[in-house]
Amino acid sequence: MSDHCNGAKDKLVALGARRPPDYWKSPEELRKGASLRGEFPGGLPSPGRDDHGDPEGETTRRDFLTLMGFGVTAAGLAACRAPEQRAIPMAVATDEMVPGVANYYATTCGGCASACSLVVKQRDGRPIKIEGNAASALFGGATCATGQATVLSLYDNERLRGPLWHGSPAEWHEIDERVGAALAEAHARQAKIVLLSSTITSPSTREIIERWRHAFPSFRHVVYDPVSASALRTATAAAFGRAVIPHYAFDRARVIVGLDADFLGTWLSPVEFARQYARGRAPEGPPTLHVQFEPGMSITGSNADRRVAVPPSALGAVALALLARIARRANEPEVAAPPDPVDAKTLNSVADELWRHRGESLVVSGCNDVAIQLVVHTLNRLLGNVGRTLDLDRPSLQRMGDDAEMATLVEELARGEIHTLILHGVNPAYDYADPGGFLTGLSKVAFSISTADRRDETSAAVHAVCPDHHFLESWGDAEPVAGMLSLCQPIISPLFDTRAVAESLLRWLGEPSDPYGFLRDYWRTAVLPRQQAFRDFDAFWDQTLERGVLDLGAPAGATIADPGGADWRAAAATLRDESQRAASPGGDAHYELALFESVPLRDGRHANNPWLLELPDPITKMTWGNVALIAPSLATQLGLGDGDVVSLTTADGAIEIPVFQQPGQHPRTLSVALGYGRRQVGKAGNDVGKNAFPLTRLVRGARRTWASGVTLASTGRRDKLASTQSHFSMEGRPIVLETTRAEFGRAGDAEKLPNLWNERPQGERSWGMSIDLDSCTGCSACVVACQAENNVPVIGKDQVQRQRIMHWIRIDRYYRGSEDNPQSLHQPMMCQHCGHAPCETVCPVLATTTSSEGLNQQVYNRCIGTRYCANNCPYKVRRFNWYNYTQNPRFDFHMANPVGRLVLNPDVTVRSRGVMEKCSLCVQRIHAVKNAAVKRGEPMKDGEIKTACQQVCPTDAIVFGDLNDPKSRVAQRMQSERTYRVLDDLGTRPNVAYLKKVRHGQTT
Amino acid sequence: MPSNVLVATFPHVEGLLHAVRQARREMLRVYDVFAPFPVHGLDEAMGIRHTRLPKITLIAGLTGLVFALSLQFYANVLDWPLNVGGKPDNTTLAFIPISFELTVLFGGLTTVAAFLLRAKLYPSKRPWLPATGVTDDVFALVLRKPAAEETHQRALALLTECGAASVTESEAEL
Amino acid sequence: MDRLPDGVTEPRWIAGAPTLAQVTDDIARPMEGRPGKLWYALFAVAVLGLLDLLGMATYLIANGIGVWGLNNSVGWAFDITNFVFWIGIGHAGTLISAILLLFRQKWRTSINRSAEAMTIFAVMCAGLFPLLHMGRPWDAFFIFPYVPNQHGPLWVNFRSPLVWDVFAISTYFTISLVFWYLGLIPDLATLRDRAAGRIKKLVFGLFSLGWNGSHRTWARYEVVSLVLAGLATPLVLSVHSIVSMDFATSLLPGWHATIFPPYFVAGAIYSGFGMVLMLLIITRQSMNLQRYITIRHLDSMAKVLLLTGSLVSYAYATEFFSAWYGGNLYERYHFINRATGPYAFGFYLMVLCNVIAPQLFWWKRIRTSVGALFVVSILVNIGMWFERFIIIVVSLHRAFLPSGWGMFYPTLIDFGILIGSFGLFFTLFLLFIRYMPMIAIWEVKGVVTDQQHGGHGAHGAGDVHATPAALLTQAVNHAE
Repeated sequence: MSDHCNGAKDKLVALGARRPPDYWKSPEELRKGASLRGEFPGGLPSPGRDDHGDPEGETTRRDFLTLMGFGVTAAGLAACRAPEQRAIPMAVATDEMVPGVANYYATTCGGCASACSLVVKQRDGRPIKIEGNAASALFGGATCATGQATVLSLYDNERLRGPLWHGSPAEWHEIDERVGAALAEAHARQAKIVLLSSTITSPSTREIIERWRHAFPSFRHVVYDPVSASALRTATAAAFGRAVIPHYAFDRARVIVGLDADFLGTWLSPVEFARQYARGRAPEGPPTLHVQFEPGMSITGSNADRRVAVPPSALGAVALALLARIARRANEPEVAAPPDPVDAKTLNSVADELWRHRGESLVVSGCNDVAIQLVVHTLNRLLGNVGRTLDLDRPSLQRMGDDAEMATLVEELARGEIHTLILHGVNPAYDYADPGGFLTGLSKVAFSISTADRRDETSAAVHAVCPDHHFLESWGDAEPVAGMLSLCQPIISPLFDTRAVAESLLRWLGEPSDPYGFLRDYWRTAVLPRQQAFRDFDAFWDQTLERGVLDLGAPAGATIADPGGADWRAAAATLRDESQRAASPGGDAHYELALFESVPLRDGRHANNPWLLELPDPITKMTWGNVALIAPSLATQLGLGDGDVVSLTTADGAIEIPVFQQPGQHPRTLSVALGYGRRQVGKAGNDVGKNAFPLTRLVRGARRTWASGVTLASTGRRDKLASTQSHFSMEGRPIVLETTRAEFGRAGDAEKLPNLWNERPQGERSWGMSIDLDSCTGCSACVVACQAENNVPVIGKDQVQRQRIMHWIRIDRYYRGSEDNPQSLHQPMMCQHCGHAPCETVCPVLATTTSSEGLNQQVYNRCIGTRYCANNCPYKVRRFNWYNYTQNPRFDFHMANPVGRLVLNPDVTVRSRGVMEKCSLCVQRIHAVKNAAVKRGEPMKDGEIKTACQQVCPTDAIVFGDLNDPKSRVAQRMQSERTYRVLDDLGTRPNVAYLKKVRHGQTT
Repeated sequence: MPSNVLVATFPHVEGLLHAVRQARREMLRVYDVFAPFPVHGLDEAMGIRHTRLPKITLIAGLTGLVFALSLQFYANVLDWPLNVGGKPDNTTLAFIPISFELTVLFGGLTTVAAFLLRAKLYPSKRPWLPATGVTDDVFALVLRKPAAEETHQRALALLTECGAASVTESEAEL
Repeated sequence: MDRLPDGVTEPRWIAGAPTLAQVTDDIARPMEGRPGKLWYALFAVAVLGLLDLLGMATYLIANGIGVWGLNNSVGWAFDITNFVFWIGIGHAGTLISAILLLFRQKWRTSINRSAEAMTIFAVMCAGLFPLLHMGRPWDAFFIFPYVPNQHGPLWVNFRSPLVWDVFAISTYFTISLVFWYLGLIPDLATLRDRAAGRIKKLVFGLFSLGWNGSHRTWARYEVVSLVLAGLATPLVLSVHSIVSMDFATSLLPGWHATIFPPYFVAGAIYSGFGMVLMLLIITRQSMNLQRYITIRHLDSMAKVLLLTGSLVSYAYATEFFSAWYGGNLYERYHFINRATGPYAFGFYLMVLCNVIAPQLFWWKRIRTSVGALFVVSILVNIGMWFERFIIIVVSLHRAFLPSGWGMFYPTLIDFGILIGSFGLFFTLFLLFIRYMPMIAIWEVKGVVTDQQHGGHGAHGAGDVHATPAALLTQAVNHAE
């Protein structure tokens, strides 16, 4: 069995290695054997041809499966590999795959180091949709935009087809021999061997690295995160004696103070934090307060009750000012604070609130600065939050990067001290502060290996590239938070001739190089003993693999060292001095520059993912590139308009980048998103935006992502920006409605407009949706989720500039109040499925009508594209196919190449040119659940149908269901006095309703 | 050469009208009058009865109206009712524009068709021209050739005295 | 009825006293001889425009609507603007032949033929755009009702104004064409009988349907023309009312207005007469027909322009008033945006051309100066095009949700197709004046005879028992 499979594997891998195989496009096409035969490179593996076939009807089953719908490599391998290694599907625990029926497998997200637990939808051997794993205590059923998009990265046509030696294709065994030789030599000469990796959350992989330590005394593992929490770990070590990242519990905090920590967007574990945040701030619950101090508007700031714009240089002073006030209240020895950076009233009230809610408050800071983090820790300690709103017994393991170590490594490289360097999941040639320095250092290394999945800035300069699997292709595990484990299983067998990094590391170590076996052994020895539920390992394994997550409880004997306080007083002193220096800025011409991770692209590792490139930034609504965010007041003062290219010069370098006026931006600070400006990542992502990483520098052993004394000069050039929303004021129209806790509770205005005609007979069901504007943070995960679920095309920068974005759900963002510090409102907007739909009456060909279940449905093959419906839609949610966006070389994104098209959802039509499309409330999901219910022979339950946007939402802002069922959650929500319908006064009778945003004033 | 009509041509309308009136007073049977444009007063002079074409228009128009209304009603109510914008199946008000248009279309086309039939006009028909120039500047009065010789002479005399430029005999299908 | 009260002299619509034969010669000559240089020059330009249209349309259909400047906010712009513009132009012809016939306006006789031709060509241009603006023009036949099959309802949506358009415009085109051809028959006969060449004889013989000027036929003929006139008059009014419902029945601020039908009809007549005036001036200069198309014709057309122009201006004012008085938030914003927003220039250009320019016609000196008339007639057309552009684009680009606001920037293809439609129009029109009697010979003969010997003469236009009322009584009499 297994040798048959390996045989098949070799054969197929060989195919894969030579050229990217041609994949099937639609079930219809597949049912016709002929056309399949035509596109099957090696010919059909029938018993006649397949010499690996074994007698027990294996080959016939494989033929059957192949014919029934597997891509070349996907098919042969997925078919026999799944049973061989017993990947356990979430829904149906069987190793058979029924063509056309989706299977769901639990795994773990590799999109970033947050390691969210996932359930992946697999259709006919292809993972096509990422969902959160509801069984996970940390992340629930939610994911983020990046997580949603990772499935597209799997089908990235730019991925390497196989290993490279000096940039040209090679065979694995040659590479392995060379590596073996190099390691032996290094070992013999006691030369340094270094594994430079990003944060590794997998305990089993960490075990492998341990073995390397034993095997090679000269081996060292350096962890490098481009955007790291290095300072936070150092500070925690200093304050509490453990170099960890506290595990925060925002849901337990009634007062949250954020110091430039975008915990709802990008910081540490945004999905988890967003869930906690929404849970803790439910308007029905006790009043809460969230104050955010930050230089530029982040989505966290846009959700805060009070947002104070401060320059990055003043964040330390803010922390100190708060500490001084808290210390006074805590009768601690006086803290000498610098003059208040912001008005004392604000600081006093914040301090009061914090003090009033000792033990249920939380101060967090995203600054990568040891001193600030120490002060923040001290604040939390004095407020008695440690152990309540931040947990050190079960710390987070989601960021382990150590900037200082990285710096030393680069010095060693420069000195040519490193013999063998293994790069895993890192790309310093792009995102290190001094890429040039790193590259020269790299060139001095005797033997360099990269596990990158493509020829990127770094892997282009190494000797051997040993492409790692995509996480959806590999086995593994993760431990985002101590004791909270999550397993990772392959949903598809490797598309290309890649190899799991675990396998490589083991092989080079000369150990049995079967990562699956190793994983099982590790879990048998290391995990099984730590739990009580199971004695028998196989049962334990199957159960855990199916469930995906495992909570082992707090590890024993985690003690907190008694914090001395010496460190933080020193830190306070340094901060004081610094802020004094910052207080006397080098003249008016000098500004500050704040670099931040943007929600769509984060640290830039997914920069070739068209979905993310076209995802509008939640705040600026900018796509396809980053900009220098500038306060409108400053822009007017300097005579700059949106798109004017300026050059920003810091002590560490300069970039030329267009400016964009951002309300709420600190008047003396410009913000630039990191993660853009990749040079070598792929067709889609190359040279999109500008790379700001080189403007960072190492301060106090941590990488500082801001700079002061920045000079700004206009270049006179102007760039066209691709923003998806041009107007940010509501013009006093009742679109996003707000209420305050005071009003909230009084009866809402629920007078229904009269109907000109008699009501039509109601169907058995009436689908509706309720969107809570209070819990929506604007994180935009729903936008990508919808795009993935509904095959929404990517159209590119030019088309976005022409205001033709295709997203079915968009997040409208409006501002209220002053330009300097406005209140922001996020409103998810999609087809409102009106009962009296204006679009339907005007369609000449009945291409859009209302279904018996209240859905406004679009009939693509009837549509002739008069666009009358879109004109008459007051919500402007209809999307027109201006061009043929699929298989069109002009739009060379994932739909233009056979690999990228594998991500398409077979349940949703790919729209042709010239037809109108729009949100269908995921009608395909409705029908799937209906059919399932019919098969079961029992009625479907409320909440069984989840739309893509609802399922992904970390804050549970979206609820979908049957309005006719009074007990359904959506019907319940409709009863809330917060419920209202947008533009209801037009008599459109939307089936999508919104819940008013609630303004939390203060906690009393 | 067999002949059954007398053709008298006139250069001016007056002569023509006078001749027609005289001829009818003399009980001569006017076969037809040919002119480059519709001459005012000829109807009475010739005693032409009014055409019934307007009635046809009326009937055809009503047919169009009924057809349009029933088509729309059948499609939207009987054959394939759909929920369009929550409106009832039978939105008669919305059917009016099309009904009006079809009324006009049916009425107009039928009238013209009827006219062409009645006037026996059809493509590439060989026209019977009593005299050259009747489509240019000549007016021709055509009398049925009287059977009695003395009537025939009277007719000739009458025509010449009314200022006929020429009087010839010719054959027309009666 | 032609007799005027004593002392009042019947206006002379034809200069001099041509004989009937002369009339025939004068009007037929351009078709028999070679046209002047001016004609060739104009024709060359027109054909260039036509080629441009063909190229642009091919490019459009090959690539998709994306080649236009449209976007998610603005789904219609040049396409429907041109459509409404040409339909509007297409109103003058039938109006002149039908309504003026019913009102017994003799001055129509020299101009109705070319006006009707213009109508037909304009409607052809208009008909182009609903087709071109479709995302999938190859499926255009979906908009005609045919029986459902297993694929589902293939009926059309009889509630959609676009379907009303389909019926209204095809009816209008058919009736106008028939009306025009009917008027041509006697003249074709005339030409047949004077034609020299065999081919000409053959062609005219084919289309003149064996007309021989029999008065029994003439009598019926006149009744039929009056019946058609009676039908066409409400038709003209209905067509543009229905076109206006494309907007009026929607719910967009700036579209959703009950004033639209009359407002659009007035606008249509206004633009139509503007175009007729322009063409007549071109024709009489290029074909030297000053005798038949006299200053007095132009003068009375100018008066119509003055009237309709004022009607249109009144409609503009009403729109603003009701927006302010109605107090609807969106409505108000729309009209403020119309006058002060990014497309304000278009609005003021429209006001200049449609409100101010026609007011010049209060002065006879301007009404009778060919140059001035020509300039104003062009202004009228520019103004009316911009009126439609303002109504369509300005309403769309800033509708209800500010998040959906955007701008429309036309592309070269947009302009190319606009210009191309003029190419098509003028090619057809120039061919018409070259190969067809652009003045109704037989009607002019009637008028001429009338002028020379007061009493009798042209029938119909002034015949008492040929008025619709009379026709009805006849119908009743016969019923008995």
